[in-house]
Amino acid sequence: MKKLCYMFLATLLLFGYSIALAGDTGSQLSRESIIEKIQKEGVIRVGMSTFVPWAMKDKKGQLIGFEIDVAKKLAQDMGVEIEFIPTAWSGIIPALLTGKFDVIIGGMGITPTRNLKVNFTMPYDFSGMSLVAHQKKANGFSKIEDFNKKEVTIAARMGTTAEQAARKFMPKAEIKLFENESQALQELNLGRVHAVVSSAPMPVFHALKYPDKLFVPLKENFTKEPIGFAIQKGDYDALNYFNNWILNMHSQGFLKEKKTYWFESKKWESLVK
Amino acid sequence: MDFLAAFMVIVAISFFFSRMGSVLTYDWQWESIPGYFMFKDAETGQFHTNMLLIGFFTTIRLSIWATGIGFLLGTISGMMGAKGSITQRFISRLYVETIRNIPSLVLVILFYYFVSSQFLDSLRLDLWLRNQSQGFQGVMEFILAGPGQINAFVSAVIALAIYEGAYISEIVRGGINGIPQGQWEASWSLGLSRPKTFLLVVLPQAFRQVAFPLAGQFISTIKDSAIVSVISIQELTFQGMELMAATFLTFEIWITITLLYFILTFSLSRSMAFIEKKASQMY
Repeated sequence: MKKLCYMFLATLLLFGYSIALAGDTGSQLSRESIIEKIQKEGVIRVGMSTFVPWAMKDKKGQLIGFEIDVAKKLAQDMGVEIEFIPTAWSGIIPALLTGKFDVIIGGMGITPTRNLKVNFTMPYDFSGMSLVAHQKKANGFSKIEDFNKKEVTIAARMGTTAEQAARKFMPKAEIKLFENESQALQELNLGRVHAVVSSAPMPVFHALKYPDKLFVPLKENFTKEPIGFAIQKGDYDALNYFNNWILNMHSQGFLKEKKTYWFESKKWESLVK
Repeated sequence: MDFLAAFMVIVAISFFFSRMGSVLTYDWQWESIPGYFMFKDAETGQFHTNMLLIGFFTTIRLSIWATGIGFLLGTISGMMGAKGSITQRFISRLYVETIRNIPSLVLVILFYYFVSSQFLDSLRLDLWLRNQSQGFQGVMEFILAGPGQINAFVSAVIALAIYEGAYISEIVRGGINGIPQGQWEASWSLGLSRPKTFLLVVLPQAFRQVAFPLAGQFISTIKDSAIVSVISIQELTFQGMELMAATFLTFEIWITITLLYFILTFSLSRSMAFIEKKASQMY
């Protein structure tokens, strides 16, 4: 029996050791710049997650959206094929660190906490947080302070900057987290929460869809946050390449043009439904 | 009595739906759902499979592979656990107890991020597959997954197989132990060796005894395959969640997905019952 116990312990230790080793693989992978790897393999693997209208699938099952256009243009300029790897948002950073894809182009807000784990490029876009509220439950609310009360419930998508913004600006309110935005919005439509916090322009679009039930209490976004590509740490080659690519796209007006199309118009809506 | 029971079930179901209709102010939009199975390309006039159907086939592929490998693992471990040496029995127990006491979700995530990042990813299956001919890629896509998905898919299959294998191991072990000692003695007295007795006499009988619990385990494999959506395998649940995120048709899509899983599991359980019946007539 004692022998068995020892064997069991030894096996556990071995398992633990293999996990510890796994921590190293991430840094090993990044020794060769991903730019060279992408060129060599002829394909760039992009991690993303569905966020309307940043990235979503259209009626034909093809990915469309602001991010998708940006990533496709990037691949075209690098002269390589593109492969999108849809990933659950809560696991997207670990997936990048373990090399499941080369870069996150997924509307990821640049935050100090995230930056400790990954490297960000310069921003290619600025986004802001906005609110959509339930007409009956949040009747008369018009300021952010109105939502900062103990009896108020706010829904947001887990692990997003929306969650952080909700905690920061409405610390007294109860925050309910969901894996996907559609679940948070469903909760709002049912009137179980007072409001949903999310990146603009989704809250406005959603309020327009249900004008008799929902409304947008704040006229302007209550945060402004930079959005960048995320890559594994220590790859300065890739950072330099992506930064200059973004700089170019800013000056060519490509980013502005795409932003107008996806965020200020609703021309794309017939593609989705 | 039967009539009464059926009546009560119908009343309960209609009560549930009428309550749901009044509590849930929901704008049902079923009309766009068929398009997510298949759509007609307006330009070429050809039909293409869409997300839900692709996800459905991925779930089938995933379940078949995981069941196959899990069955193999489980049978070996079950045989070791029932009739092996002390070390073999220890290995079998260690495997079964470890896996059964870890939540499946945790196992899949640990396996994907740690184990597969070290071993599977260094094989660079995706790179290898990308360099193969178009035809071969097509075949692989049909039986496994395309180059973009293959690493994740293989690690999901293995994680799921390891998980299911532990349960199958216990079922097989129970089946073998359930064969009375008399069977062994009888076949030894007929001059069969120990391995032959095991393979020709005990194992076939054991499998017949455990056919039903095994079928149940295969059905759970299909349902458990939904958990690999957390590592972003494009199976039915993941595709459904992506669709919901894009279209906000939450309930229509969840209900559709439920029906699809039901079609899979129910047809499997019926065909298992059919095989069981045929097999019992053979003897």
